[in-house]
Amino acid sequence: MLDYIARRLLIMVPTLVAISIITFVIIQLPPGDFLTTQIAELESQGESVDHAKIAALRAQYGLDQPYYIQYFDWATGMLQGDFGYSFEYQLPVSDVVGDRVMLTIVLNFTVILFIYAMSFPIGIYSATHQYSWGDYGLTFIGFFGLATPNFLLALVMLYFANVWFGTTIGGMMDPIYIDQPWTMDKVLSVLEHMWVPVVVIGTAGTAAMIRRLRANLLDELQKQYYVTAKAKGLSPFKALMKYPLRMALNPFISDIGNLIPQVVSGSAVVAVVLSLPTTGPMLIGALQSQDMYLAGSFLMFLASLTVVGMLVSDLALAWLDPRIRLGGGTGR
Amino acid sequence: MRQGTDFFAGGLRAGALAVGLVLAFGVQATAQSRYIEVPSLEEQVDAGTLPPIGARVPDRPSVVDLVSEGKEVGRYGGTLNTVMGRTKDSRQMVVYGYARLVAYEPRNFDLVPDILERVENLGDRVFTFTLREGHKWSDGHPFTAEDFRYWWEDVANHHELSPTGPNSELIVDGEAPRFEVLSPTQVRFSWSTPNPNFLPALAGSRPLYLYRPAHYLKQFHADHTDHDHLKHKVEEHNQRGWAALHNKEDNLYKFDNPDLPTLQPWVAQTAGPTQRLVFSRNPFFHRVDRQGHQLPYIDEVIFQIADGRLIPAKSGTGESGLQARYLSFDDYTFLRAGEIQHDYETYLWRTAKGAHLALYPNMNVRDPVWRELFRDVRFRRALSMAVNRHEINQVIYFGLALEGQNTVLPASPLFESGLRKRWATFDPKAANALLDEIGLTDRDDRGVRLLPDGRPLEIIVETAGESSEQTDVLQLVEDQWMKVGVKIYSRPSQREVFRNRIFSGETQMSIWSGVENGLASASFPPAEFAPTAQTQYMWPQWGQYYQTKGQAGEPPSLPAAEDLLDLYHQWVGASTDRRRSIWEQMLEIWSEEVFTIGIVAGVLQPVLVDLHLHNVPIAGIYNWEPGAHFGIYRPDTFFFGEKRARVPDDVIAQAIQGE
Repeated sequence: MLDYIARRLLIMVPTLVAISIITFVIIQLPPGDFLTTQIAELESQGESVDHAKIAALRAQYGLDQPYYIQYFDWATGMLQGDFGYSFEYQLPVSDVVGDRVMLTIVLNFTVILFIYAMSFPIGIYSATHQYSWGDYGLTFIGFFGLATPNFLLALVMLYFANVWFGTTIGGMMDPIYIDQPWTMDKVLSVLEHMWVPVVVIGTAGTAAMIRRLRANLLDELQKQYYVTAKAKGLSPFKALMKYPLRMALNPFISDIGNLIPQVVSGSAVVAVVLSLPTTGPMLIGALQSQDMYLAGSFLMFLASLTVVGMLVSDLALAWLDPRIRLGGGTGR
Repeated sequence: MRQGTDFFAGGLRAGALAVGLVLAFGVQATAQSRYIEVPSLEEQVDAGTLPPIGARVPDRPSVVDLVSEGKEVGRYGGTLNTVMGRTKDSRQMVVYGYARLVAYEPRNFDLVPDILERVENLGDRVFTFTLREGHKWSDGHPFTAEDFRYWWEDVANHHELSPTGPNSELIVDGEAPRFEVLSPTQVRFSWSTPNPNFLPALAGSRPLYLYRPAHYLKQFHADHTDHDHLKHKVEEHNQRGWAALHNKEDNLYKFDNPDLPTLQPWVAQTAGPTQRLVFSRNPFFHRVDRQGHQLPYIDEVIFQIADGRLIPAKSGTGESGLQARYLSFDDYTFLRAGEIQHDYETYLWRTAKGAHLALYPNMNVRDPVWRELFRDVRFRRALSMAVNRHEINQVIYFGLALEGQNTVLPASPLFESGLRKRWATFDPKAANALLDEIGLTDRDDRGVRLLPDGRPLEIIVETAGESSEQTDVLQLVEDQWMKVGVKIYSRPSQREVFRNRIFSGETQMSIWSGVENGLASASFPPAEFAPTAQTQYMWPQWGQYYQTKGQAGEPPSLPAAEDLLDLYHQWVGASTDRRRSIWEQMLEIWSEEVFTIGIVAGVLQPVLVDLHLHNVPIAGIYNWEPGAHFGIYRPDTFFFGEKRARVPDDVIAQAIQGE
């Protein structure tokens, strides 16, 4: 087992190097750099830009260096915990990202809880009452959530939240609490604002989860051990909880690998529409303005989380499900 | 001494008035008692951390006569909320604050001294600036000639901080100005040839700064501070060197450093990436009203940051007390609907661009056949006459926009009614005749004319892809031009790609807004009407040639364009009377040659105003340069008072017509 973990950890190194190169190349692909984007924006607003000064700035930011040197500076910096410098904010990347990560985690964690809380009972109900009115009805609602464009649902809900409850439009809290210390009122304000994004982001995920749980559970419900358990006189609820449901849980565990990066960056589009102070809109902004170290470091951070998350979910699966065995310690 | 001084006559009078007032108040001791202390600062004054008001305002402040401006005398206090799209918009506070060395006044767009007490201008060559005695930075440190000297010697001419030397506005034919400190409150800039762009640059929305808070910035300057100490600071801030650190701290325009002293009415309180920017009153601001209140009236301004597309919704639900940025005419009906529930009203201001939208045939396009065609004035005239501007105005702008060419607006002193209408009245017959005359007589089976080499006359019009409004307009133009046998396709792109394709001559035609200053007066440089910048999308290469002094691009090769450039050069060195006639000649050529095909201008800008907010004009001009959006209307004179009655619709309608 230890051997397996070590092996997996070693494979991570080339994976991450490859990801870092690809990330860097893709960010550099569009023509120009941060400064040209900046000039374009300023000039089109009628502000004049001193062309001679741009060359000096480019040298100051190190943008006049060849790409491979820029890459090595960035990559070696990251190994030492220096994620580079955000041109746009004129701050180290870690300072820019710092504030937002907390709210993002809170939000996305709540979303995941919401998804679990909604999809578990519905999935179980749908599987045990297959082809009933309840199954069809709930599945219909689930698909409805999946099919409605998130941003549209977001706008509609924002509007009604404002009209009915007087919630301010967008954001994670009432504007007066921004940058204030945490108090009970601030927490309440966050809760008041958070349900809209949670429901909007959650509805899409819920439908998928319901279907997966339903399908897995249906497979197990056919099996003989379940029939036997029921025949022995075990109450249907206990029989369901004790055997088939546990078997059907695998997709939830294997999802962890995807969930961890999602908790940090998820739901960018909805966050932009709702103007949430999370990391998603910041990443989009950084990519648009070619703020390359901010975008690059952030993508690297996500990639690392995905890779680690995959390992965690594999290990958790092996631990949880005795059917998954490590053949001779060299991986599945 | 004669020439050019009259340019400043109004300003000199204002300065003299200020002197007179203070004298009338008696000597300083009594003058102090005339000022009314700001309630929100009383605590600090009582505690001794802040001097009393009399010691805070300059000895001879800028006295604002609100009554003669048609405004009310206000009262202190309150918080103004507004919504901005990005943290970077912190700079809008400098734009709205609009404290400049010299500033435009809103009625005739004349330049008057503001931060300066007096300006003497000798033939646009020698400028002597007199500062206000006792004027202080927002941290209470005196603002003196030393701040100018520091900027000139230690920033603008320092090889590490400004490797390329002083800003280009200061360089005339390669010559930098001579800078002299005459006394602690007097400095002089002089050139051997006139530099008429100098004062307008100082009054700009993004102004040219000739001063820096020396007492603050010296701690980041290698020549003024201990080396080890500085090195430590550089590391602490994670910068590449002391110059980078100095440049980061030195951001009078970006306005995101709460430690940097300023002269603006409100001072930044928040730094770094945040969703809420707070600005509080500058206790040392140099403007007062005649009743003895120190401006600004409003204690605090808050910018809430939200996504640009949410801002209309946020404004319409009463989250903003004053909003125009990020609102557009399409939002008007929604905003009016919100008035029923929330305490605000919506005015409509005119925008001041020469054209809200204009088509730019690229005369530097690479394809030789197209280049030839675009350079043929008959072709440009035909295209212009084939646009049914009335239809576009009715369909998209409810008939409220001004139709016509991309040139100065009726409110400009240079306006002549024929200029906007020339070659701009819908006449498909005449357009067809002109196109036939060029020799484009063959057509394919769709009715599209054929180029001399047999290709169909299909123009790809590129847009920056930012507004569906442009695509809508192009859809109408497409139908109209089809009637004269010209087929267009619109191609949305992304702003930077859009520009680069135009610059390199790949784009045939583009759509963008027209000339920036549709209100120009004769003293305003006519640079936009001559090939002087790469961003003039009808002749990017010629503009680049001028900007790079011949190192890149190509020289203008159309006689009319050469004439415009020549006239522009003449304007720079001309006397005031002569300038008007040069402007007139340039506008004449401009309209006659139809270099750009203007569509509509004067599109209305919704301006949302809280019912408790006073002194915001019902009718105004919403423009960047000159105008600084709200800046020219002096938001420091806006104040929160009793709830106002709504302005009736017909008054707003009249205000629009009156502009």
